[in-house]
Amino acid sequence: MTSVAERDGKAGTMTRPIPLGKRRDLDWIGIPLIAAVGLAAYWLLPDDLALLTRIAASALFVLSLDLVLGYGGIATLGQAAMFGTGAYAAGIVAVNWNNDPFAMLAVGGLAGGLLALVTGALILHARGLTLLMLTIAVGQIVQEVANKARDWTGGSDGLSGIDPAPVLGMFRFDMFGHTSYLFALAVLVVGLVVARRIVRSPFGLACRGVKEDPLRVSAIGGSPKAYLVVLYAVAGVFAGVAGALTAVTSGIVGLDSAGFSWSAEALVMLVLGGTGRLYGAVIGTAAFMGVHHILAANDPYHWMAFIGLFLIGIVLFLPGGIVSVAERLGGLRRGKEGGA
Amino acid sequence: MTVLLEVEGLAKNFGGLQVASDISMTLKAGDRCALIGPNGAGKTTFVNLVTGVIPPSAGTIRLDGRDVTKLPSAERVRLGLIRSFQVARLFKSMTVREHLELAVLQRDRRTFRLFANVAKVAGLADEVAELLGTMGLTHVAHTAVGSLAYGQQRLLEIALALAMKPKVLILDEPAAGVPHSESQRILDAIDRLPKDLAVLMIEHDMDLVFRFARTIVVLAQGRLLCSGTAKEIVADPRVREVYLGSRTNAH
Repeated sequence: MTSVAERDGKAGTMTRPIPLGKRRDLDWIGIPLIAAVGLAAYWLLPDDLALLTRIAASALFVLSLDLVLGYGGIATLGQAAMFGTGAYAAGIVAVNWNNDPFAMLAVGGLAGGLLALVTGALILHARGLTLLMLTIAVGQIVQEVANKARDWTGGSDGLSGIDPAPVLGMFRFDMFGHTSYLFALAVLVVGLVVARRIVRSPFGLACRGVKEDPLRVSAIGGSPKAYLVVLYAVAGVFAGVAGALTAVTSGIVGLDSAGFSWSAEALVMLVLGGTGRLYGAVIGTAAFMGVHHILAANDPYHWMAFIGLFLIGIVLFLPGGIVSVAERLGGLRRGKEGGA
Repeated sequence: MTVLLEVEGLAKNFGGLQVASDISMTLKAGDRCALIGPNGAGKTTFVNLVTGVIPPSAGTIRLDGRDVTKLPSAERVRLGLIRSFQVARLFKSMTVREHLELAVLQRDRRTFRLFANVAKVAGLADEVAELLGTMGLTHVAHTAVGSLAYGQQRLLEIALALAMKPKVLILDEPAAGVPHSESQRILDAIDRLPKDLAVLMIEHDMDLVFRFARTIVVLAQGRLLCSGTAKEIVADPRVREVYLGSRTNAH
């Protein structure tokens, strides 16, 4: 055996084993770094807290998409169905019964998770384009239900009058958005920690197996569909919480929160940042919304064109997304994320 | 010795085409049996029937005394009927270690733990280390399978099968695609399999068959031609005929 090992070792750098400990240490920096940058932004950009809050809540949504797409290989253009359901559920509960922000997040997560569990069980037998169509259909149905149920959702006027109680009874949601931003950032960081835990669990490992080769997973006695449905439901909880977080921090929920373009935009942000890496979701969201914000302010007429060029550039020159640059610089290799 | 696999009157036809007819065989604990036959003899069909990839038209399959004829393939896997694939079929971006972790976790039905840490699952690291050692893969444990040498991928296929604690192990051309000079490594690995396991190897390479098998089963045109020890098979004129048909006739 040794002779083969030696020869393979010389044959290519690809087979060189990477020390496990080192990779882990680098990987651990991610979440504290995001928290630190988030806090730094709070001090450095006090006038942009509304934008920063939207970025944090959207990043949590894009993170949910990364769970299904990056770790389960589920092609979806309907993730906003869960986001919108979570946002409406949290908003309706806040307006009618309980406006505690944590209760709103819990209701949103539950609603998003349940919708994903039910629809996932129905549609996840399909793959590829068929599945893509079905996810779009689910999104359209949710949006139409929200549109018709005017009494509860406000229909096309949107659901307004959401006035969340102070966080832990102490921190009021002030008009400058300080509490909103710090609350959103905290929820995002907790979401990242939980997501990271899940992708490194036995379940996460099985999902990565399903993503690569579902038939091989059945050959070792697993049920690919069961993994995908559970993963879809878990991601639905994340999306629902993200929707609820938007309801808490913005005070309104509109029909576009369950819309097709919101699903598609999330996909763009994820690809921009890099799929299957968790951090890519956050970086992609910040990059997309940040660039969007700067360009739209400076050139209200042509900013869309610049966004397009920006995207084409990223896809052509950085197919692994923005995170792949950081990984290369940090000595991390592709295909190692979330592993070991 | 206990009979682990019992196949009786197994048949399959696609419309009018009979690809397997009336095949019966048994495997006992500790058996090392080779299934041979010329191209198109129905070896792969037989494996697919036994493992449940395709349903048989007639016949029964019993695994360790239990009738599994109607069970789906994943269920048969859980009961200990494991196969390795002819073409290494692995998760390209996952490391060798992750493959074995997944197989062991799947076997123990611990894959729905959402918040456990793979690195901290009790007993997992030790078992994976042992599997890596048995198959001589320890030094590539952290290598992504996509960049592994082909021979090592074959070894991982066997390690994966072994990780599932099989009762019956079907090796579908375990040395296919491996240079002849290195096939001995595969055989060495097979030699280290637990002794009480029933192993059925489907193989073209007669050299490998004679080194591995204590008994041989010959298939030809979807039928069981004969079975016996290696010596009996070599001496059997019917075997010579199906393999060397034209030449024997010419003489």
